[in-house]
Amino acid sequence: MNQNRREFLKKAGLGALAGLGAAAGLFPAFALEQTDMSNFSDKPVPGKVRWGMLIDTRKCLGNCKECIVRCHHDHNVPDFGQSKSEVKWIWKSGYENAFPTASTQFQNPEVLERQVLTLCNHCTEPPCTKACPTEATFKRWDGIVSIDYHRCIGCRFCMAACPYGSRSFNWEDPRPHIRELSNTYPTRMRGVVEKCNFCSERLVKGELPACVDSCPEKALAFGDLNDPNSEIRKLLAANETMQRKPELGTLPSVFYII
Amino acid sequence: MNKFSQFFVALAAGLAVFVAAWFFMQSAHRGSLPAIAADAVVPTQASPAKGAPIDSSKCILPTDYMRAHHMQVLDKWRKDSVRKGNRTFVNPEKSHFDKSLNTCLGCHGSNPMFCFMCHEYANVKPTCWNCHLSPMEVPQ
Repeated sequence: MNQNRREFLKKAGLGALAGLGAAAGLFPAFALEQTDMSNFSDKPVPGKVRWGMLIDTRKCLGNCKECIVRCHHDHNVPDFGQSKSEVKWIWKSGYENAFPTASTQFQNPEVLERQVLTLCNHCTEPPCTKACPTEATFKRWDGIVSIDYHRCIGCRFCMAACPYGSRSFNWEDPRPHIRELSNTYPTRMRGVVEKCNFCSERLVKGELPACVDSCPEKALAFGDLNDPNSEIRKLLAANETMQRKPELGTLPSVFYII
Repeated sequence: MNKFSQFFVALAAGLAVFVAAWFFMQSAHRGSLPAIAADAVVPTQASPAKGAPIDSSKCILPTDYMRAHHMQVLDKWRKDSVRKGNRTFVNPEKSHFDKSLNTCLGCHGSNPMFCFMCHEYANVKPTCWNCHLSPMEVPQ
């Protein structure tokens, strides 16, 4: 190869590199993609809001299932008719099942017989989101542990990770098992996990969750736990409250008055 | 000039060619983007918790653009509303829309076959209706 030509190419290459470097320095728009600051104006601030719920088990008595019926209707929750493949967003469990690690020694027998309303706790440290391999379930900016059903691959790691049994799996196509289709929320498909979403579709419209809205005894309170002046924070300050399995360190956002 | 510096200079020349090619491709890509990209729209100050005043009297973007790009718009809307919480879409005419499939179906749902006619013709099978209620299934 002609050595002169080789030398020329080397110098030309260096020159091009230096020129590009200078151009990038002189015109930043040329080197880097421009940042449009207006894109950041509408982004929610993570951690600013933390939605929480307070359930007064003293008022939530008997066989009332208003909230369960309303929630399961509004969210198109299927009824497969057998407990093994049951899908549930909100349900009632016995006191000792809801609080298995709470002391029951010499406990008021009336309390021990209570049916406690249970739902997804929307933990501040959710174990389920850490187990999800596709990030289909994630903690939102407002503290809600949400599932992106578009992304769920149905591996059920999150169900194994959840210490509260809040998640259900669609073993078959849920569409034929929905009693009455509601157009307030989409259905799910076969092979995805589902659970309570704290009615994020209602919160965005400025409405309270369906269970809180439908409770005839007003036993459920809902609000922003990060706001010291919110109704729920005043109720939490004024009452003795419990969380489910607090020793796990998941920091649930659902509180109970016993 | 020893072997090491020769190698270094050759490396620099190669890098320069790559950088030049990259800039060329970037500028070419920018030029080829359609005039109205879903990304180019500036979001508003409206709080996502309160929702935006929804104007459903007209389509969000010109029909020709929507015909070709509705899947990209829906994909972006899904990501923005489900994962980022940015629910407000503002079109070039400054109308506000909620980033929801229901915004589209609010008008287009009046023709139950609106989606299906074209998808049938083009033989595409989108998975939207596995979960979302199509205009043919929505209880009236």
